[in-house]
Amino acid sequence: MSRSSKKGPYVDPKVYAKVEKQGANATEAIKTWARSCTIVPEFIGHTFMVHNGKQHLKVYVTEDMVGHKLGEFAPTRNFRGHGGKGKR
Amino acid sequence: MPRLLGVDIPNDKKTVYSLQYLYGVGPKIARELCVKASIDHDKPARDLSDQELAMLNTLLERDYVVEGPLRRQIGQAINRLREIKCYRGLRHRMSLPVRGQRTRTNARTRKGPRKTVAGKKGVKDLR
Repeated sequence: MSRSSKKGPYVDPKVYAKVEKQGANATEAIKTWARSCTIVPEFIGHTFMVHNGKQHLKVYVTEDMVGHKLGEFAPTRNFRGHGGKGKR
Repeated sequence: MPRLLGVDIPNDKKTVYSLQYLYGVGPKIARELCVKASIDHDKPARDLSDQELAMLNTLLERDYVVEGPLRRQIGQAINRLREIKCYRGLRHRMSLPVRGQRTRTNARTRKGPRKTVAGKKGVKDLR
């Protein structure tokens, strides 16, 4: 079920504060574990290091990504393929 | 047979059902169209007058997105997801279910026909 629009989008307060602090000139990547944080227009042009459970993956936010969550851009599973006993 | 929006030729069923042969027109929109164009829902599509057809055409073009434009709209939405490399986009690229369905079994619509792997349980006779 989708989130009630009454509440507005969930934006992690800490991430938001960091973006605000950097302002328009995005300097360095913001390291974060807040995968459930919605991407708001203010984030455009910033780079985030989003945790995928193991490492932080670099995510550069573009206009199209607004409305998605940070976690959608850092896959948590790594599929290496099936079988291949002979190949290895 | 009557023609709507160039290519589509719904047959001689009742108008409400006939309209649903258009891509993007389901029960809801078909009913709305009949009401807006003041056509009897049960009238066979073959008995529609030229005037009524013209009415339906203009309504479809003005108020709804159907057929080609709708297909394009959907394609673009999917391409957007693919390009921003978000999770849903990746699932589209891999042609796997996008909305969190299981893939251990089933998911054949997205994955296509089964590709049997020799040596797996149950297919020993293939070895």
